Amino acid sequence: MIRQATKHILELKETSFRYPDGSVGLDRCSLTILRGSRTVVLGANGSGKTTLFVHLNGILRPQTGTVLYSGAPLEYSRKGLHSLRSHVGLVFQNPDSQLFSASVREDVSFGPLNLGLDVRTVRKRVEDALQAVGMVECADKPVHNLSYGQKKRVCVAGVLAMQPEVIVLDEPMAGLDVAMQKELTAILDRLHTAGLTVLIATHDIDFAYGWSDEAIVLQKGRPLSQGNAKEVLQLSEVQTELGASPIVAEIVRSLALTGIDVCANGNPPRNRAELVKAIAAQTKQESNR
Amino acid sequence: MLIEQSAYTNRWRRVSPSAKGVTSLCGMLAAYAAATPVAACGVAAILCVVTVLGAGIPLERYLRVAAPACLFLTFSALSLAVSLNVGNSFGDFVLLPVHSELQKVAQVCGRSLGGLAALLFLALTTPLIDIIALLRRLGAPEVLLDIMILCYRTLFVFSEAVRETVTAQSARLGYTTIRLSMRSLGGLVANIAVQVWQRSQALHLAAMARNNDGPLRFLEQTYPHSTRDICVAVSGGVALIVLTLMIP
Repeated sequence: MIRQATKHILELKETSFRYPDGSVGLDRCSLTILRGSRTVVLGANGSGKTTLFVHLNGILRPQTGTVLYSGAPLEYSRKGLHSLRSHVGLVFQNPDSQLFSASVREDVSFGPLNLGLDVRTVRKRVEDALQAVGMVECADKPVHNLSYGQKKRVCVAGVLAMQPEVIVLDEPMAGLDVAMQKELTAILDRLHTAGLTVLIATHDIDFAYGWSDEAIVLQKGRPLSQGNAKEVLQLSEVQTELGASPIVAEIVRSLALTGIDVCANGNPPRNRAELVKAIAAQTKQESNR
Repeated sequence: MLIEQSAYTNRWRRVSPSAKGVTSLCGMLAAYAAATPVAACGVAAILCVVTVLGAGIPLERYLRVAAPACLFLTFSALSLAVSLNVGNSFGDFVLLPVHSELQKVAQVCGRSLGGLAALLFLALTTPLIDIIALLRRLGAPEVLLDIMILCYRTLFVFSEAVRETVTAQSARLGYTTIRLSMRSLGGLVANIAVQVWQRSQALHLAAMARNNDGPLRFLEQTYPHSTRDICVAVSGGVALIVLTLMIP
């Protein structure tokens, strides 16, 4: 596969997939993932998020339409898939369904060894990946003695050790407590800063609004809306489909109605911390007048 | 779980598994080579002391782990030591000790205890993943090792699933009567069977996603003092065998 620095690292063109039981996975789905972006995929259960993700990794092959990586259609030959999966890493929702070995270090080495790398390189990659997710201290622990959040981090390390360009995570925050969610978000931010394209499926509209650059909202296997996260998540049809709206955006709107403008610098706050900071700054400004 | 706990927390966790394997093998050879029951029991005692004092396994835990095997050995020894003499009429039978066999039974028991102590030494000081890695180095068939890895991993996943299902069933009074218990047990088996199938599918997908195309490959652990450990183990093991052979 020839890699080109295209604007869109992944793209789906009129892609359809129907499961053997007749249920629709994707229905003439066309969407794009920007290179180097933090993209979230939202949608109700059964809207096609997981189906989309396994298409991006080449596990499922579309029945009609095309999936493109770096502008080139995916090759489903052994060699083509080998190349694709070394560039697009996929972290599944349930860590217990993807951890093979009972040893943390062994499991993280699974992917890079499958790439055919030499032992020295694999050892280095394993240590780097464990370092990146903050699991070096737990590297010698058995997997079954780890907490749910730690298992998730091992899963992320297992994919990072393959050094992909895109990391795709299926509902990574599900089942994590708030502290662990923050830790995982920090890890994802570091990966994004390091140049990775991060793609996440989530049900948490507040997280999506606060964290992502781009958002894709799926409805019955096709995008209802996609584009800039800030704009997409404020569309009324999107909020109706998701049954929720970003709380920070709502508070900003309510404050604006009472005459308090917390978007004075042109950047509306995206998360709770930014909102608190903006309100404090506005209050200080008012009291100085 | 007791074995698992000891294997990960003992003092010799970072000692090369090859060294521990050599010690265990030498212990078994010494037990087999022991000419008298006393000598075999001596081998068992030495291995027990090494495990408890050397590796730092609490004696109570050691005895609890050894208890089922010892119980089994007791019943086996009894069945060898006595014979059933059945008379002509119904209910006419007596248990007679077989005097000629007692020496042989004692010898078998002694050797079994020695073998048990040697195996417990390995099991209580070495996690199964290290033993699997050792077997891989020794050239055991890949398929067998893959099955061992998956079985070992899924053992914990399914024990968790069983615990959760039983809790959920108990919370809805699933085990209040024998009839309900049998019904709940059936439901549990059916549920776990479906989960086994689903998990195997999920593992297959996860393997594909990480570019796997055949055998499960993992990085081998390295041990800083492997050569030294093996030398010590070989010396100790040979000394044990020689000592056993020297006992009249």
